Parts: sequence; C-alpha cells; structure tokens
Amino acid sequence: MPIPKNKKIKNRDVGVNPNRVGNRLEGEFLVGEALVGEEPELAHIDLIIGNKKDAAGMAFATALAQPRQGHTPVLAVIRPNLPTKPSTLIVPKVTMRNLEDAEKMFGPAQSAVAKAVADAVEDGIIPKEQAEKLVVIVSVFIHPRGKDYQRIYRYNYSATKLAISRAMQNFPCVDKVLEEKDKSIHAMIGFRINNLKKPPYIEVALDIPDWRRVEGVIRALPRSDAIIIEAGTPLIKRYGVEVVQKIHNLRPESVVVADLKTLDTGNLEARMAGDATADVAGFSGLAPLKTMEKFIEECRKVGNLSLMDTINVQDPAAVLRKLKVKPDIIELHRAIDVENTEQGSEWGNIRGIKKVCGNKVLVAVAGGIRVDKVKKALGAGADILVVGRAITAAKDVNRAARAFLQEMGVEEVDQFRVMTDF
Amino acid sequence: MGEENVNEEECVFHKKLKIKLKEKGKEGRINFLKDYLDYLARDNKVIPPDFPSFVREIMGLDDREGFIHVRIWHESSELVSFARAKGYDYKIDMYD
Repeated sequence: MPIPKNKKIKNRDVGVNPNRVGNRLEGEFLVGEALVGEEPELAHIDLIIGNKKDAAGMAFATALAQPRQGHTPVLAVIRPNLPTKPSTLIVPKVTMRNLEDAEKMFGPAQSAVAKAVADAVEDGIIPKEQAEKLVVIVSVFIHPRGKDYQRIYRYNYSATKLAISRAMQNFPCVDKVLEEKDKSIHAMIGFRINNLKKPPYIEVALDIPDWRRVEGVIRALPRSDAIIIEAGTPLIKRYGVEVVQKIHNLRPESVVVADLKTLDTGNLEARMAGDATADVAGFSGLAPLKTMEKFIEECRKVGNLSLMDTINVQDPAAVLRKLKVKPDIIELHRAIDVENTEQGSEWGNIRGIKKVCGNKVLVAVAGGIRVDKVKKALGAGADILVVGRAITAAKDVNRAARAFLQEMGVEEVDQFRVMTDF
Repeated sequence: MGEENVNEEECVFHKKLKIKLKEKGKEGRINFLKDYLDYLARDNKVIPPDFPSFVREIMGLDDREGFIHVRIWHESSELVSFARAKGYDYKIDMYD
C-alpha cells in the first residue's frame, strides 16, 4: 500500500485486520515488544504469538520440556490451577539466582502476564475463537533490585497487553521503522546517533593543539544536532587520534570528525579512527586511488562516514570519477588560484561534484566561512560549513556558534526532544 | 558583536585554577596526580589526551602559599569538577 509523501505514518496505514489472525498465523508467528514503567521495576516484555502446530507451538513445547538453570519457564496462571488462554509460557530474561528472584517472577510478574493475556481475549485483541489454537511465549525482565510488587504487577500487566496489541497489529510497520530510525533517542545511551541525514551543519574545526583550550571551546559550544566537531589534524598530531574519544566523552551526542588527511595505509588509518569512536574519518584527495578506496571501504566496514579533503586537488571531480567507491562527504577548500566564475561558487562547482557522486554525497566547504558567507555557501549547494577561528577564537564562542546556526535557519537545540508518538 | 555583550561565563579565555595541595612538596604533587587519576578512572572518564604534559606541568609548577596555579579555559573544566569532587580548596581567577 503506497504511503502518500509527507504523511505521518501510522501503523494502521499498513496494518492488518486482527480478525483474520487465524489465516495470518498459518506457519508464522507474530512478534511484540513493550517497555513500561520506571526503574528498578521497569517491565520489558518480548513475546511471540503463533499457532500450536507451527514454529511457535514447537518452541513452546521445547522450552517447557527443557528448562535451563535460572531461566525456568512457567505457565502463566490466573490463579493456582487456572492457566490463562491462549496457553502462555513465561521465560525469565534475567537469571533467577535465589528464591527472592523466583518469587517476583512467579508471583506478581506471572500473574500480571496471565491477566493481560486473558484481558486481551476479552477485549477482542486476540480473537476468542483462536484462543485454543494459539500459544504465547513471553520473555519477562525483572531487575534484581526491583522490590515493589505493586509496580512489578502493574508494569508487567501493561507491557504484556501493549506487546500483544502491537504483535496483533504487526507494529511497527517497516515504514514506521524507516521514519523513526534517525530520530530516536536510545533509552540507554541517552542520545541519538546522528548520521548527517538532515543538513545543513556547521563543522567546528578544532585545530588548536592545546587540549585544555579545546575542552574550553567544546564546553562553550551550544548543544545542537547541527554542530559537528572536527578533531583537526594539528590536534590529532599532538595527542593522537585517541583525542576523539575524549571529545565524545564531553559531547557523546555530537558527530566527531577525525581529520586525518590520510595519504597512505588507508584501511589502517580508517580503522584507527573507527576504534577511537570517530563518526567521520577524513583522507586526502591527493592520496593514491587505491589508498582512498581502501579508506572508504574500511570506513563502511566499521560504520563510519568517509570524508575526502580536496585541499590542493586541482580537479576534485576528475578524482571522484576515477574512484570505484565514493566517499560520503567531499570537503572543498576555497583556493583562490583556481577560483573561476564558471565553477559556480568560490568553493568550486558544488553541484557538479554532487552529480559525479550520483547526488548521494554531502559537500562541506572550508576556508573563509564567516556568518556573512553562510547564505552564499548554502545557496551554492553546500551541506556542511567548516568553521574554525570564526568560532574557536571568538571572545564568546557560544554566541559566535549561535550566530552561525541562526543564519543557517537551524533549530538551535533539538537533541533532547520528547518522543510522544507512541 | 560588541565586547560589552560578552557572556563571561561562556568566554573561552585563559583562567587560573588555583588549587591548594593537601600535602607540601613532591609527595603532595604525586598524591594530587594520583587523586586525579583515581577520579577519572572511578567515573569511567577517558584520560585527557594532555595527561603526560599535565604531569610534567604539575611537577614543575611553583607552589604559591600552598596553591598551584593551573591554566584552564572554562569554568566547567574537568579539572574544576575534579577539585570539587575530591575536596580540594580551589578558586578560579582570570589571567592577568
């Protein structure tokens, strides 16, 4: 079913009719997940629902017949001697080490799961006529520090019912996943991974080979998704590529570029940058083609973006045409000697460069970027503005960076938005 | 941007972090460095990349009435957090 462009994707747009669950479950099973509550009693439910005669049924029987130490599966019962329907097997996620852990699992948690399954039938989420044909396997998480039985019961009840409902609706649909994957904040790491999908950005180039001053600049920068931090070549030469880790220590949510300007041993240096947690690693466009290709391929292996620095490269487009694999970012430096009005902008032919790479590349421009040049650079097609001393040597670093963001029309701080969709 | 509007808190200027060592002499400096490493390691912080030169700096600094003067660039520098967390007497002055 085609989804109209710009439409907010709801699961019901591509969901299926729960009343046809019997047909849908022939040879298949449905998967549901939900996280409800607060630590330490936080409930995390993963479950599958399927037909007794298919894979889910086999898994149900196997798990029940082959208990593992500390993860003993148990049938969910409404009360002693009254198992819920559809038959439901609870599998503890965390190893039960003692009777206290077992009491929480087999007491409030299993009771909550049993009641949620029965209520799902009563509410029509699971069709009543399918109750004897289906089985449910529920993986239950209880933190060993969870003490409050009330909260364990309520959270696990809510999470199970939500997970069942989601499973029956095939939530989330794949379009929802694709829409949300770049927006979501990871619950444990507390920020979202920025993969530079929403330009424009400013890249603050930290070329100062003095860590405490660099630390000062980083602490003064506004927290915005639109700010990329560059560990400049002099900084890396002074302290090693490990400096990237320390930058991430101060700004875990920021994209950090390791400006290595690699000329040889492409795969080795790209791997070193990846190991040091760099999100983007830069090589020189003057390097041999083989080195550049190895660098780009290694970046893909370790999950980094690759950046080609074109400083002193006479014809970046010609180099790009020769590359079998293209970098993710091309950084164009303003070079007065090659400035030509036919090239379209003082940073070179940005649109031409993008075309060579199938318009699948971001273009960064560096050199002479001040606030009054922002609109011109963006108008010429630049996605990333590399700014050095205009920010790092400003009397008020924070204010200087905000001036750039404002001129770029970027929402200032959007890293910590609250997710309210579901 | 006029100077009168500069936000002093956010300025990245030299500042002096004056920390009073808990013991005098070489032992006091070594214990200060041990405390700093302890603070970083216990909080799972990445060791600052300038640590080798920081060690040389601390061991070579003059002691001024029990205080050593360390150059920092921001009021929220990790060294300030360390001094606070480990109970060192400290004050922050702008550089002359």
